[in-house]
Amino acid sequence: MHLRAEYYVGPDLRFLSNLDMKRMMARSLRRASIPYALSAGYNPHMKLSIGTVLPVGIWGKREYLDIELREEVEPLVFMHKLNEVLPAGVKINKCQVINSNTKALMRVINAASYAFCFNKGYDLNIIKENIENSESLVVESRGKKKGIDKDLKPGIFKIGVKINSEISSLNILVAAGEPINIRYDELIDLLKVHGVGDNDIIDMFREANYVRVENYFYTPLEKVN
Amino acid sequence: MKDKLFRKILPKVSKPGRYTGNELNMIKKDWDKSQVKMVFAFPDLYELGMSHIGSQILYGLINEKTSHLLERTYTPWTDMEDIMRKEGIPLYALESFRPLADFDVVGFSLQYEMSITNILNMLDLSNIPLWADQRGEEHPLVIAGGPVVFNPEPFADFFDVFIIGDGEEVLVEFLDIIYEHKSLNRKDLLKKLALIKGVYVPAFYKINYNSDGTIESRISLVEEAPEKIQKRVVSNLDEAYFPEKPILPFMEAVHDRAVLEVMRGCQRGCRFCHAGTVYRPVRERSIKTLEKQAQKQLANTGYEEMSLTSLSTLDYSGIDRLVKGLVADYSDEGISISLSSLRVDAFSIELANEVQKVRKSTLTLAPEAGSQRLRDSINKNVTEDQLFKAVEAAFKSGWNSLKLYFMFGLPGEVEEDLESILDLLKKVRYIGKQYSERPVQIRASLASFVPKGHTPFQWRPQASIAELEEKRNYLERKKIKNVRLSFHDSRTSFLEGLFSRGDRQLSQLIYRAWEKGCKFDSWSEHFRFDLWLEAISECEIDTDFYSSRIRSYDEILPWDFIDTGVSKEFLRLENERANEGAVTSDCRHDDCNGCGICQHFEIELDIREDYQYAP
Repeated sequence: MHLRAEYYVGPDLRFLSNLDMKRMMARSLRRASIPYALSAGYNPHMKLSIGTVLPVGIWGKREYLDIELREEVEPLVFMHKLNEVLPAGVKINKCQVINSNTKALMRVINAASYAFCFNKGYDLNIIKENIENSESLVVESRGKKKGIDKDLKPGIFKIGVKINSEISSLNILVAAGEPINIRYDELIDLLKVHGVGDNDIIDMFREANYVRVENYFYTPLEKVN
Repeated sequence: MKDKLFRKILPKVSKPGRYTGNELNMIKKDWDKSQVKMVFAFPDLYELGMSHIGSQILYGLINEKTSHLLERTYTPWTDMEDIMRKEGIPLYALESFRPLADFDVVGFSLQYEMSITNILNMLDLSNIPLWADQRGEEHPLVIAGGPVVFNPEPFADFFDVFIIGDGEEVLVEFLDIIYEHKSLNRKDLLKKLALIKGVYVPAFYKINYNSDGTIESRISLVEEAPEKIQKRVVSNLDEAYFPEKPILPFMEAVHDRAVLEVMRGCQRGCRFCHAGTVYRPVRERSIKTLEKQAQKQLANTGYEEMSLTSLSTLDYSGIDRLVKGLVADYSDEGISISLSSLRVDAFSIELANEVQKVRKSTLTLAPEAGSQRLRDSINKNVTEDQLFKAVEAAFKSGWNSLKLYFMFGLPGEVEEDLESILDLLKKVRYIGKQYSERPVQIRASLASFVPKGHTPFQWRPQASIAELEEKRNYLERKKIKNVRLSFHDSRTSFLEGLFSRGDRQLSQLIYRAWEKGCKFDSWSEHFRFDLWLEAISECEIDTDFYSSRIRSYDEILPWDFIDTGVSKEFLRLENERANEGAVTSDCRHDDCNGCGICQHFEIELDIREDYQYAP
């Protein structure tokens, strides 16, 4: 059977690489005695896949993984067993059965929301308006095409502002994967262009991953077929 | 502190996971409720330190079984060090994020000589004075253990205390005494500690030298300081503490797997081998204990691999039964078993096949010398026939990449011995071609021989860099198809040799080299031999005195006061037998050789399982 799970990776684990995360999950599944399926071949390994890479340096509220099991396991049982053994700071939020032919996470996730937190002192609504009103939002590309100018405008769907008494945040919903991939560090560069100082972003995390179909944003748990 | 690190510092460094702690199975004890606070400092990168099984043993032992506390720290890589110095962040422990200076004891593990500059750098990053005599009541005790401290003298001026022998046997007692006498001043506390067997307080001794630089005498300055320091030995390894919940790193450690220490010690008696003396005698764990430890460790970590480790794992008396049992228990879950070292014989290959039924990666064998004459001389009891049978068995069963370990620059080595290495490689390749359909890959790793204290070769000269380079050129002059040679850096071997048989006169050199910027000396990208040479010249060190002189049997050697249990007389006899090319057999299956260890410590060889010896 196949399961898809949504999990939380807390701030203390923000420096794990994608490989570290995968290894940590695989070892947790073993500790939890989950009946994971193994691949055939020279070097049998767990059939575990993780959604879009959570960049080193940021933490995530809603990340996703798919796992194939060799026996039926109730999703709730899976979640509880795994949560018992996961390291502090990681937690499975939700979990559900998916069909074996469900498209891989990597292929369906095409949008993500990043949160940037600030101390007092910035009018976030002005930054939001300035970004929204710009014709183009050009920064230096940070990805594979390093150094080339890249317009972020077509990849930014929505900007939200949350104001709290202590910490306020900008939540930016962007395109991920193909055809356009907006990286969190490119967003930092964009914020710098709009007057944000180097050390003023006091925290950042990925709030969610989405499957965007036209103007609708589904979670990978809602969009399983 | 932690907040600043996570927000401002760590995002800027490579592999920040080295500096965050918080791993699964980490033990964070209540600082105020703990008796003695010690930090275990590993003088190399986190991913190396986390692969060191001794640290995991001491960590679990102190934190689980005592009221003391043991935290961890590692050497920061240079990018992190730069930021720490710039931002004024002292070296800190991964559990509490407290600076090292807050602890009662800072304990370094000296696994290899060249890590000493990292130790000085770590003390400096902690704002702790480097020289022991400059530390006061407000500073932690700086101590060290590990194989290197069987000759602690070159490092003596930097440490308050050395712990000699099996750490788990002495550390609890050591910390208990500190707690019991915490009201004493530093010097009086050190006197109490000096009374513990296996504990060496270097400041309590004065060394007098002859005019030729050799040692005239060692004088104990206080009555508590014994003339000889006897190493500590775990007499019953089967009952000794071993961690069932090792810390599981998030980032990949160099050896990223569960570990079973099947035995400690090796009595094959290779005459170049330091570990062979200092870890004597052989003590084994029972299969029952190992199976239980395997089950617990895997349940607590989720590792996908388990390694059976020791100096010579295939010599473990129950190896066949243990390996087959573990493979049967765990292969269905996709958990693989690995053997850390193979013996050069067909039995070893059969067992290696057992653990790696499908994937044939590289197989490693260590004949150590090319000719039978030289192998006999160093007492590496492997015949050419055994080697070829092993190689044949390996290629027959599908391995097609082989790595062979050799040493060169050995005592008594002549050109024919080097030629024999090449001949042997050609023959191995020929055997490979007969059995393998694909072209075979043979790699030979050539280490330059470094004479070490407490070995039969401790009186022998070390080949100079020039001699080693000449031998290297000789070996490299003809290429053999599909055979690749790689050589250890002869300059590193030169420095290792200097320190492994050095005395207290070398501490100034170490300090000077560190001042000039030497650190991470075992990392080729940081190794600055030019700076070492400058320091040697400025400190007017006669390196020939330490390295290329034949030492006489009646000379007082700097490490003679460390009592490993193996008598100097036995080492001398072994050295002479090397000249004759006479082999000495392993006392587990032949008569006692009279090395002295069992009588001296009133212990016995501890062999647990039915002995199966592949001849």
